[in-house]
Amino acid sequence: MTAASVRIESVTKRFSGHTAVNRLSMEIPSGGIFGLLGPNGAGKSTTIRLIMGILEPDEGRIVLFDSPHNSRALSQRIGYLPEERGLYKKMKVLDHLIFLGETKGIGRADARKRAQAWLERLGVSDWAQKKVEDLSKGMQQKVQFAGALLHEPELVILDEPFSGLDPVNAQVMKDIVVAIAAEGRTVLFSTHVMEQAERMCDRIAIIARGEMVVNGTVAQVKEDFGGRHVALGFTHDKARAANILADRALIARVDDYGASAELQMADGADPEQLLAALVREGVGLRRFEVVEPSLHAIFIAKVGADAATAPAGVAA
Amino acid sequence: MKKILAVVRREFVERVRTKAFVISTVLLPVFMVAMVLLPVLMMSGGDRTSRVALVDASTTNLGQRVSQALESEKIGKGADAKSRYTVQVFPATGDDLARVRDGLIAETGFSSSKKKDGWNGVMVLTDETLATGKLAYYGGNVGSLEAMSKLQRVVSSALTGVRLAKSGVDTALLKEAMKPADMDTTKVTDGKQTGQSGTESYLIAYFMGFILYIAILIYGQQTMTSVIEEKTSRIMEVLTSSLTPFQMLLGKVFGVGLAGLAQMAIWGGTVLVLSSQRLPLAGMFGMSADAAQSFPIPSMPPGLLVVFLLYFALGFMLYGALYAAIGAMCNTIQETQQYAIFVTVFIIVGFFAVFALIKDPTGPLGVTMSYVPFFAPFTMPVRWSLTSVPPMELVLSLTLMVLALLACVWLAARIYRTGILMYGKKPSWGELWRWIRA
Repeated sequence: MTAASVRIESVTKRFSGHTAVNRLSMEIPSGGIFGLLGPNGAGKSTTIRLIMGILEPDEGRIVLFDSPHNSRALSQRIGYLPEERGLYKKMKVLDHLIFLGETKGIGRADARKRAQAWLERLGVSDWAQKKVEDLSKGMQQKVQFAGALLHEPELVILDEPFSGLDPVNAQVMKDIVVAIAAEGRTVLFSTHVMEQAERMCDRIAIIARGEMVVNGTVAQVKEDFGGRHVALGFTHDKARAANILADRALIARVDDYGASAELQMADGADPEQLLAALVREGVGLRRFEVVEPSLHAIFIAKVGADAATAPAGVAA
Repeated sequence: MKKILAVVRREFVERVRTKAFVISTVLLPVFMVAMVLLPVLMMSGGDRTSRVALVDASTTNLGQRVSQALESEKIGKGADAKSRYTVQVFPATGDDLARVRDGLIAETGFSSSKKKDGWNGVMVLTDETLATGKLAYYGGNVGSLEAMSKLQRVVSSALTGVRLAKSGVDTALLKEAMKPADMDTTKVTDGKQTGQSGTESYLIAYFMGFILYIAILIYGQQTMTSVIEEKTSRIMEVLTSSLTPFQMLLGKVFGVGLAGLAQMAIWGGTVLVLSSQRLPLAGMFGMSADAAQSFPIPSMPPGLLVVFLLYFALGFMLYGALYAAIGAMCNTIQETQQYAIFVTVFIIVGFFAVFALIKDPTGPLGVTMSYVPFFAPFTMPVRWSLTSVPPMELVLSLTLMVLALLACVWLAARIYRTGILMYGKKPSWGELWRWIRA
């Protein structure tokens, strides 16, 4: 048995009316970045809250660091950024970070030093003496992010960490997450933005309707999904491709983005056949590439198109 | 423990820093001083000499006797005291009574500068006055119950004297016999005189009840509001991942309580400074030194102070825990009202019990209420200040309070644990019960 930061064993959580998490089992090994993926309402946040001990599972159990204690007793080793961001609005930024550090058991002087270092790192040190309510939403999120990491936890749990951030800030956060993993610490984050997960995660789990759909390293998940995939980029006359793309003998699945598309070839069909057909019809192509399936394609294939069309950026 | 301290400090510092805290700290003493000063100033307004026109239509020269009695009434004590009344007697007969009377009334009751105010009042005495006690008084100050009852008292005793003299009692003897009782009251505790006068005991009792009432209402509500704030700002989720509900609850109640105590300390300090400087201050308000001395600023005996602070702290936390639990159950301030009303009723009953107690400190009502944990913080310090309470009763009452406090904190922590993460929907009583049992 490898060292696992989190071990979820057949956990079920019901709320009045529906089952949010249904006999979910998974293991988050120590070190690396673990992505928890799923459509809105899949049970990602509930799973995270169960891990954090904010909710109690109805069935099953959750083990952290192979320890018999719950997450509150281990809270010094865990950093948590909830999906619902929240800070005391009237508090000054620096005081707030110090307080958050103290609730994790860090001494006051130490907490102050660390808070200042984090504000520096996130580029908000000018705001240290401002009240939280004077900050923009993105800045508040950065402050809360710092609050979750202040005590240098060995397990960092981030619920939708990049939602609502502009690209520049998202980049800053991403760099920090990667740096944490590089130090050998564990990051678990939830998202429904597949591209991000694909680029960052060592391992992923896709859950839907509270149940596990896919689980493993990103490479493994792609391999298991199998099939041959083609990425297309159109320049003109895309309409002429419609018949070819609809041919189920050739193509199993189409993910149409308008100016581009990702296809899964039908069993036994050849990408060359497809290329020939497209050229014959006179479809203008700027890209034709045989690729690995993207997580996005896997996600949609596994979870269903209806769930994935939900707008990005909305918290699940 | 360290974490609780962090919560306590945050609650305290953040509260003390607010403008509301600073403003209320400054304004309440101003308000209270005004409350004390205004009645004193108003009452001292009543201590002016009144000019009374006495229409004597009696055949027994009653007017002179009554006038003597009135003029011997003094304002204040000592040799230089002013007369309370200046009296002029207007003899009248049954025939011209109405004319004399109406003429005098026409000069009475002017407060403006339009016309000189001839008389403050006109009193009419007839033969019937001596026989049945009936007399009439016309004046601008008849609305003042105190002035009227004083006047009536003086006339009554004058009439008594006349009647007794008529039946042959010697005037000197009469004077001797009619000397009024002059009682000085001193409170006794455990067989020792405390040096407090009755007024002081009363004032202290009233003051303590009032302070506790205000403190619990203001700070209890603040505890509740701050829980709601934590829920709406969603900070709760971060906190619950590192703090137990018990730590959060205790830290909050303590922190808010400390802020309250700090405010009380500032006020208490102000009272001390003011009372030590009351003579120069009184001078500034144009009051005589005499009036300032008579205006009591009670000192609290140390024993009472300890009892008061003990009950204050316990009561405060008890109600604080209840308010926090209500906050945890609700999502908006408006929602809290229907639950908070129960707590408010307890507080109000407790506060009004103070008045019942002041009347009858040893009665069964007061004794019973000083054992009920929700009322004891109000009633016990008052009982202690007004009578002597057996130590056993104090210990019993304190034990009950501590038990109730623990029970309340436990209960509140149960509700807190579940309630703080409930957004959107209000719990039913049934659900509440499940949270407590869970």
